[in-house]
Amino acid sequence: RNSVNRPPTPDAAEDLGKEPMFQEIINIKLIESGEKERLMELLRERLIECGWKDEMKALCRAFIKKKGRNDVTVDDLVRVITPKGRASIPDYIKAELLQRIRAYLVQAAV
Amino acid sequence: MSSKINHHHHHHRFNTQIFPPPCPHLAEFRARNGSKPFRALQDCLRVKPPGGRAAIRRDPSEVPRCGACGESARPRLYACLACAAISCHAPPGPSHAAAHATSMPPGHEIAVDVDRAEIFCCACRDQVYDRDFDAAVVLSQTATLKSATIQSAKPENLRKRRRVDYRPWSPDIRDRVLMETGSSPLENGSDLPRGLRGLNNLGNTCFMNSVLQALLHTPPLRNYFLSDRHNRYYCKKKNGVSNSNAGGKRNVGTADGHGNKNARLCLACDMDAMFSAVFSGDRKPYSPAKFLYSWWQHASNLASYEQQDAHEFFISMLDGIHENVEKDRHKPHSQGHGDCCIAHRVFSGILRSDVMCMTCGFTSTTYDPCVDISLDLEPHQGGSSKSVSTKTHHSCNGEVDGMNPGQNCGISTLMGCLDRFTRPERLGADQKFFCQQCQVRQESLKQMSIRKLPLVSCFHIKRFEHSSIRKMSRKVDRYLQFPFSLDMTPYLSSSILRNRFGNRIFPFDGDEPDASNEMSSEFELFAVVTHTGKLDAGHYVTYLRLSNQWYKCDDAWVTQVNENIVRAAQGYMMFYVQKMLYYKASENRAVS
Repeated sequence: RNSVNRPPTPDAAEDLGKEPMFQEIINIKLIESGEKERLMELLRERLIECGWKDEMKALCRAFIKKKGRNDVTVDDLVRVITPKGRASIPDYIKAELLQRIRAYLVQAAV
Repeated sequence: MSSKINHHHHHHRFNTQIFPPPCPHLAEFRARNGSKPFRALQDCLRVKPPGGRAAIRRDPSEVPRCGACGESARPRLYACLACAAISCHAPPGPSHAAAHATSMPPGHEIAVDVDRAEIFCCACRDQVYDRDFDAAVVLSQTATLKSATIQSAKPENLRKRRRVDYRPWSPDIRDRVLMETGSSPLENGSDLPRGLRGLNNLGNTCFMNSVLQALLHTPPLRNYFLSDRHNRYYCKKKNGVSNSNAGGKRNVGTADGHGNKNARLCLACDMDAMFSAVFSGDRKPYSPAKFLYSWWQHASNLASYEQQDAHEFFISMLDGIHENVEKDRHKPHSQGHGDCCIAHRVFSGILRSDVMCMTCGFTSTTYDPCVDISLDLEPHQGGSSKSVSTKTHHSCNGEVDGMNPGQNCGISTLMGCLDRFTRPERLGADQKFFCQQCQVRQESLKQMSIRKLPLVSCFHIKRFEHSSIRKMSRKVDRYLQFPFSLDMTPYLSSSILRNRFGNRIFPFDGDEPDASNEMSSEFELFAVVTHTGKLDAGHYVTYLRLSNQWYKCDDAWVTQVNENIVRAAQGYMMFYVQKMLYYKASENRAVS
């Protein structure tokens, strides 16, 4: 008998707003301590180093060339590169950031 | 700096950047409010260390939230410039920023990204650009101290002579007669182009021969000497030859005493003699003995028959020309602008160095002249994805089309080296820089860029490592790929600054549009000095590109070679010349 009521597994990040409060709290803590800015800078540096930024730039250029310079908005570009962008982030960068966030939470919980 | 945005429908080119016309909402906003709100915004901008980006200032504990949905985790939050209400904009979800624009009375369409300090039109749902706004952002990111703005850090003597159109000249009757009576035509027999002549090795002098070959075919230098701009007979007469023999053409070799030695030592005269000999049409190898002797007198510490470093010789030689040519002019300090001598006119550029305090964002800028750029090779083979240069996927010709992202070929390239040269470098804790704003030594970020490109760019690859700690030297043999055509735009200060400040449009250095930066960033390779062998037992060879044919100059032997040989060679010094030369209105002074 399926008597176990499990809460539904959280959806992918698109589903903002339905996420539990926990993520919200972490976000606020990161911003308040300034850690979020440092993580952003670290992420920027890594993404430039590995060529990800140039890849995205190339995708944007190709799209603009196809569509015409005057017919493109920022939203279009974001929409175009988001799937490939998310998918092509190297694992070691994700691992490094997760590690940093984990370390931050450990010392912030004290 | 005009604050009026042109309401034309075409884009304006300004310092290679296109000025997008404002959207109707932005135009109306400016018409109603002028540029005051943008300038007032300057007080609300804050530079965020460690990156130094501009963002809307807020308390560290203040977390910006969308006024409509309360979300703070959205990637883009916009603050309305009219009422400071914060709204989110995250397609494909609902755009509360757009909702704000429509629900409020007109005038609330323009907003600013709180994290990036970029303006956005909520009605058009697109980023817009405004010069005054971007100028305000740039000002907030640079020094807030009154004494150190970008303007005051401008190099002195940046005289702007107006550019003149090229006017072709052909001789008239009188000129023709003069030419025919005063000269004799050269033989026109050979297949080889003019000026190709071997140089005899006088005893481990390949280091000198290789550099001389490159200089003999450096277009502006070659043109200077072949147009008799430095006449060795006239120069000797002017400077007074003490032990003068009859017919001052013969060179007196021995050094006299005291001041007369300098009067007769003129490397430019020896160069003039060499140019005449090499371009005379005589194909027998030439012995640059006089030049070697003169150079020994100039660089006495290097005077021996030992093998020397070609790059060291190059620098020493330019220095020698500088010292002896323009003694009578009073221009010792404008090396960066090349007004002092032909060596600097051809090779001298200006490097810009920015050191940014990582605590407060204050940036200190200095300008230094340079006659070449020395580049480090990568510390290790670029095989791992971590440290691969982002520009390795450029093709051999330096073309940018057909980029294959993710193609990590792991080869060191010249552009990769230039990338690293202009990358922001963290100065470690042991190299703290004194920040004028903080008044203490702080950790800093240093970034190099090129303020002014020389006519001829010489890139020196640091292949010889001398470690004084370990008391040993070694040579780095790693292959370096170099393009035949090179666009230096990404390494210019204007490009580097543009990247640092994000998506801005602003007039660089407040200059009027100077198209020289726009068009003369393209360079063509014309000479490569290569080194083969070991550190202490090696050999220099120069490859020259004449009429798109490559020639190998190995001391006395000059042969035509295929370009792939050159591509595969181990480049030590690469010489690039500007593709297009511009002429400025000449000053009214006698040229030597």
